[in-house]
Amino acid sequence: MFPYFSKKNMGTEISIHNLTKSYPNGAKALKGIDLEIKKGKFFTLLGPNGAGKSTLIKIVTTLSQKDSGEFLIGGINPESESAKIQNYIGIASQDNELDPSGKVEDLLVFQGRLFGLSKAEAFSRAQELISLFHLSNEKDKKTSALSGGNKRKLHCALALVHHPKVLFLDEPTVGMDPLARANFWEVITQLNKTQNATVLLTTQYLDEADKYANEMALIIEGQLHYSGTIAGFKEFVNLSASMSLDDSYLHYIKSISKQNTTNDEKR
Amino acid sequence: MNTANILLMKRAIIKLIKQPSAPLMGFGMSLFFLIVYNAGIGGIGNLEAFAGKGYLSFLFPIAVISLAMGSSSGAGQTLNADMQSGYFKRLYFSPASRWSLVIAPMVADTLSSLVFTAILIAIGALFGVTFQFGFLSVLGILLISLLWSFTLCGFSAGIMIRTGQYQSASIVTNAVFPLLFLSTTFLPRELLTSKWLLTVSWGNPVTYVLEGCRYLLVGTSEANYFFIALIIFTFTSFISVVFALSSSKKIKI
Repeated sequence: MFPYFSKKNMGTEISIHNLTKSYPNGAKALKGIDLEIKKGKFFTLLGPNGAGKSTLIKIVTTLSQKDSGEFLIGGINPESESAKIQNYIGIASQDNELDPSGKVEDLLVFQGRLFGLSKAEAFSRAQELISLFHLSNEKDKKTSALSGGNKRKLHCALALVHHPKVLFLDEPTVGMDPLARANFWEVITQLNKTQNATVLLTTQYLDEADKYANEMALIIEGQLHYSGTIAGFKEFVNLSASMSLDDSYLHYIKSISKQNTTNDEKR
Repeated sequence: MNTANILLMKRAIIKLIKQPSAPLMGFGMSLFFLIVYNAGIGGIGNLEAFAGKGYLSFLFPIAVISLAMGSSSGAGQTLNADMQSGYFKRLYFSPASRWSLVIAPMVADTLSSLVFTAILIAIGALFGVTFQFGFLSVLGILLISLLWSFTLCGFSAGIMIRTGQYQSASIVTNAVFPLLFLSTTFLPRELLTSKWLLTVSWGNPVTYVLEGCRYLLVGTSEANYFFIALIIFTFTSFISVVFALSSSKKIKI
């Protein structure tokens, strides 16, 4: 069923092969993406707006349908083993997914219970996450009464309730203040290091990607332009390793954009 | 049924208790029907066609029907609220089965409809509604109410999911509303003046609910109608569940 993956080694946590997706208007969102992410890596997916990053995450987390291609997460086929994959991964997508009438603590406990924790376990886990995300003063508040940053923190905390092995973070720190961002990354990096959880992050904050991620992929207009280490990317764009990821990224994006303009003019 | 599914049911019920606008509206509507029509034309209950049982008992089934109609949009509204807030996506990506995301608010809505029907029955009994077979009549009416309510909730939830619009949750109520007037709602068939209305009424499933309930309440109708009503609404409940579940496959996240 997965001829491509049968040849691959077992240390791979996320395997994506020749993934394609078209929008309803026919435009191609993903043009044959191949990616391999090893277990325990902190991997960031970069690209301009509309590049296809969120689409890719939606497909591999089964929230959207692919056109063609194969993908496995932790050896699980998400499309046919939904019960397994739901327990294996955690998702914090771009939009806050919160019940406006629910209270912070209640939502965390409910989420834990949904994922099979006992009442006591769910309560204990909720307290742990409330503390980790500095939400103690907000725990009895309805989510509709939370600030944007706190909503975001709760949204991310909910994705962690069931101790996922793989965490998909789609623009997770948008709307968070600098302190909240720092706290958030502390939690995520701890999870990554101490529990060997694999993190797949999409972000427009390249400083965060540079600081926390080990590896990256660059997608532009649905095409994979680079996959490897961040230091390797700097070499790839012929910049010194001391340059920031931000500079390297901008340099590359601009060169691609210039190249496209030249090609258009030639045509 | 796994814990996640039970939790979703519980959540739907708690939400309905906290935000009871839909069932309260249904309850208010049914009481309104009962009080206003009985006050306005209750005197006709003295006619022979009512077999000396009065108009209130005759009219009572329409209150039961309208109660479920008024509250049936609750399931669709709950689903819509979760979809609008994005929370539905979180529930969708939990170990709860996809069908339970849809069935849970339907069950909550139906239960609330049953509770309010029981209150309505108590109020009716207080004001002189008769129950031909005592407690069995009460159980029979609750059973019909359950099936009728489940039918409406299922279609309401299914349509809401398919259209994704808040307003569409009440489409079912609006669609069914005319059926209330194409039946023996206010008068027994002997007193219906138009033959076409009499003919149409026999093709109208609401007639079987009304007549079935009247058999249980005043005994002026035949037992057959009650059983036909059960068969029809067991079938429509089944269809509505199938419709709601097939709609759940069309959920776009």
